[in-house]
Amino acid sequence: MGIHRPRVLIVEDDPDTLVILRVNLNASGIEPILAGDGRTAIARIQAEDPDAVLLDVLLPGVDGWEVLEELHALGDPVPVIVCSGKNNPHDIQHARDLGAVAYLVKPFDIDRLVDVTYEAVRAKRPRIVVEDASPAVEGLELA
Amino acid sequence: MFRKRHQVEEHDVRRDARVAGLREFQTPSLEAVEQRRRQLWQRTATGLAAVAFVVVVLSLLPDQEAAVFGAGRAQIGVLVIAGLFFLWAFEKESALERLTRSLTDERVLTAALTNRLHEVSLLLDAGKQMNAVLELDELLDTILRSACELLDATGGSVMLVENTDLVTMAVLGRVVPPGHRERLGDGVAGHVALRREPVLIEGKADAETFPGLTERDHYVDSSMSVPLVHRAELQGVLNVNAPLGRSFTEYDLRALAVFAEQAALAIANARLYEAERAHVAALLELRPRREAG
Repeated sequence: MGIHRPRVLIVEDDPDTLVILRVNLNASGIEPILAGDGRTAIARIQAEDPDAVLLDVLLPGVDGWEVLEELHALGDPVPVIVCSGKNNPHDIQHARDLGAVAYLVKPFDIDRLVDVTYEAVRAKRPRIVVEDASPAVEGLELA
Repeated sequence: MFRKRHQVEEHDVRRDARVAGLREFQTPSLEAVEQRRRQLWQRTATGLAAVAFVVVVLSLLPDQEAAVFGAGRAQIGVLVIAGLFFLWAFEKESALERLTRSLTDERVLTAALTNRLHEVSLLLDAGKQMNAVLELDELLDTILRSACELLDATGGSVMLVENTDLVTMAVLGRVVPPGHRERLGDGVAGHVALRREPVLIEGKADAETFPGLTERDHYVDSSMSVPLVHRAELQGVLNVNAPLGRSFTEYDLRALAVFAEQAALAIANARLYEAERAHVAALLELRPRREAG
């Protein structure tokens, strides 16, 4: 019996995507918290110490790259999964350089997202008990 | 499924509100939660101070009186009550924390929806303005003005395809003069037209990436160029420049690309209208000749 649900911050400006990710992560045993822009994301990461962050790159005002740069500069150990519509090597390398643990190209498979999220959470907290945990993926990759 | 999940979340929020002591909870409010949290900790502090006072008083009693009153047992009892009181406060605080998180999430969702509505409303307005104009020159000016308003840009240009060239048809601000020509594939606009991909440039454009780049007589911090494509046919390129000190983002580029889809449709319609008008004019020109003949 597990009681701790990993808390994951979803940073996304599109309301439909926010709701879809929230519902699916919730159903997968993850407690989602939301941010619609970069500033809110940084504030919630600092205030609520999530176990992982799903970060969209296209955000109004402070964009996803700036959020990643700020977390990198602060030395914040929260695992970040970058979600982007672009699949170019430059962006993937940039995300890797800034410490992202994974890079998912939209549209992505929701099960794959859940797996990668769990793996990222485990990377932060080596032993974590979850309800209805999805099977682990072998190692993280930038895919 | 979404509806069911939403009902479950709403039920959770109401339960947390009840546990936290917000019985009159009707409309979610972060302020009400904060007020309740202050009340809770004020009461907890007062309660613990009272407990400490009682414990101290009992410990100061002389041994004889203490024995009469059973001060030792009373002290333990008071401490047990204090522990239970602290657990009660902790449960309330946990409920308030969950409530704060849920209400913040609701605010984030509301803000995202409001932003999206604002964007859609701006695009609809721009679409209305564009569809109200059929004269090509006036339409291009409207497109450029609307794009600059949408993105807080200082200037830009609209270029249309003419054979193998792009011709600047409308300008705003200090950019290239009207009538300026660029070959398809040359410079930033030519690159965008050829590849049909939006481009965001920060600082000076790189001549290696954009061969055939012409030197500009002024510098812009940030600029964007998007192709105007309607039904797979390239109509032209829309360019906008940011004011000095401000940079466009990928988010702005996406908004401009969505705007460009509508603009391309309006341009295609205006061109069709021009062609039809020219056709009618030609027919009208033929009519007197036939009547005369």
